[in-house]
Amino acid sequence: MTPSTPLIWVVLPVVVAAVCLLFQKRPVVSLLLAAVSAFGLALLAAVFPEDLTLSIGPITLLFEESLFVLGRQITLAYDIFPFIAFIFAMTGLWVLTSNISGVPSTFRPISLVITAFLTAALSVQPFLYAALLILSAVLVSIPMLNTAEKESYQGIFRYLSFMTIAMPFILIAGWILTGVDILPPESPLVGQTVVLLGLGFALWLAVFPFHSWVTMISEHNHPIVVSFLLFILPTTILVFGLNFIDRYAFIRTSEEIFNVVRVIGAVMIVFGGIWTAVQDHLKRAFGFSTLVETGFSLLALGLSAEGGLNWMLMLFPARALGYWLWGYTLARFESHSGSLEINAIKGFGRKFPLLSSGLILAQLSVAGLPLLASFPIKIALLTQTFSIGPGLGLWSFIGSFGLFLFSIRLLIYLTMPLDSSFDDDTETMNARITLERRSEYLPVVLMVLVLLLIGLFPDTFLSGMTGILTVFSQLN
Amino acid sequence: MEALSTIAFVLIVMAAMMILIFRDWRITAAALAVQYLGAFVLVTLSWPLGMAIVKLIVGWMATAAVALSWQASTARLEMPTDLTKSDSTGSLFFRGGAGLLIVLLNFVLTPSLQARVFPQVDLVIIQGGVMIMGMALMQLGINSDPYLVIISLLSFLLGFEVIHAALEMATLLTGLFVVVNLGLALVGAYFISKLGEGEGLHDS
Repeated sequence: MTPSTPLIWVVLPVVVAAVCLLFQKRPVVSLLLAAVSAFGLALLAAVFPEDLTLSIGPITLLFEESLFVLGRQITLAYDIFPFIAFIFAMTGLWVLTSNISGVPSTFRPISLVITAFLTAALSVQPFLYAALLILSAVLVSIPMLNTAEKESYQGIFRYLSFMTIAMPFILIAGWILTGVDILPPESPLVGQTVVLLGLGFALWLAVFPFHSWVTMISEHNHPIVVSFLLFILPTTILVFGLNFIDRYAFIRTSEEIFNVVRVIGAVMIVFGGIWTAVQDHLKRAFGFSTLVETGFSLLALGLSAEGGLNWMLMLFPARALGYWLWGYTLARFESHSGSLEINAIKGFGRKFPLLSSGLILAQLSVAGLPLLASFPIKIALLTQTFSIGPGLGLWSFIGSFGLFLFSIRLLIYLTMPLDSSFDDDTETMNARITLERRSEYLPVVLMVLVLLLIGLFPDTFLSGMTGILTVFSQLN
Repeated sequence: MEALSTIAFVLIVMAAMMILIFRDWRITAAALAVQYLGAFVLVTLSWPLGMAIVKLIVGWMATAAVALSWQASTARLEMPTDLTKSDSTGSLFFRGGAGLLIVLLNFVLTPSLQARVFPQVDLVIIQGGVMIMGMALMQLGINSDPYLVIISLLSFLLGFEVIHAALEMATLLTGLFVVVNLGLALVGAYFISKLGEGEGLHDS
């Protein structure tokens, strides 16, 4: 059997996940196996030679970029490798924190399988079959969610239902467009396909009013699991969506479609931002802020004629690292306080100053505070939106301010005086800081440094993602 | 063939109505199995028998997986076979009325759907597919019981598969649909087994 790239990045992770399942009772082995595999696959994708020839000592392996499955192909071309490296590296990062108490033991293998399925979704030919692979990834994700509480499983059902209902829209739209590249604007097919695609992607991306599952799942599940899921699914779906813009000239050249996408993006930012600002539950606030981020991605997509696609792609790493830090600090907070109601964490900033700083900085990084990772991209996006339509730009700015407001509220709660059991006069600040274990705060400190570095040198760290556009011949 | 497809369509309507109206898990499971049979007949209008039978077998497997896990849960917890705590005559009539509305809408909308979107597909196939999808969406909208939600999602997929089979035939696509159907059934079984351990098995 000739080695092929899909064997490495689609089949191998699934095999590793199966082995991880066997070691479920031995978390350290399972964690090491999953993390090493994910980072190894990321590294391999990052350094893989363009001619797909791998030389290890005397052995030379020539890889093919296609794997034939049931008469169709899964083709992982060299151009998509930066994205593959990115999603596997992020999966590895999340897997590294999967030993925190409360993270389901199934998270490690499932996260690998989800990443493998989504990789397959980006590479299957015809590309429309990706809709079924995305649904498969959704199905695989269910066992890592909390099914014990009624409130939680209702959110999961909604998530499952919306994702299932989305799939036919995409497949039918694709079927209608089979063999079609250019359509006259007056063709009835234009309206039909745009409506079908719009509904399909709106359901997939939890666009208002299909967003309710996001906050329901966010509130009742472990922050590590939720942050991973809410990072990897929309990110891959957005990249998959570029296929439609690339292939169909009537979408690519339609100003109306991009106007509508921009407006939907702005609505998501405003809606999500306002709701984030008024939340009293930290996990729900995270859920709503992911809607804001989807809004920013749509806004960037709507500005594709002005280079918005580059911004959309450059936002991915900054957002992923922000989500990771946010999920990690929330998980640590939850294990210390038991509840993530804003009232329950009064004074936590005095007990756990580094974790608290990490949480605030994660939120501010995602919100786009200057010097942090998302700022350079978001300021460019908002500026461009202002120049196209001041109203739209103003509303987007107001919406994006929601997370800042929530962070300020949270900061006030975190710095409130401690209750009597901790507010001991004899306790020095140093002693308080020692309440935090190094193993807990070290990842926070490191990640904050990374976010600062990205904020200071955005081109160095983020521009690599824009290389993905070479996959889409009409978009680069 | 026309008579057979008409019989299949009638079977689908009856089965879909039963799934929507009744709350006894055995009736629902049997109706789902009949619905798969009707859909299989409609798929044979576009696909060779060897390919079409995959959908029937997978559908019955999915039905069995969900129904048996529900049976195991109810037996373990000594629960009644009805899925809801109380089911008044009024709610039966409401669901029956909603079902009839879907049937009516189906007959009104499908001819124009055929004319505008699927001109090369038999009307009976579109009617069968839309009927199953419509009833499934109605079911999804009016209850949150795990068993019925999974049955509805399986039905929704089935309805789509009936229509899509008339548009495209590919082995990989069939394989992916098998994965999704069985995956959904397994998720359903997983849910039911988990819920059996805790609260919230029943929804009023």
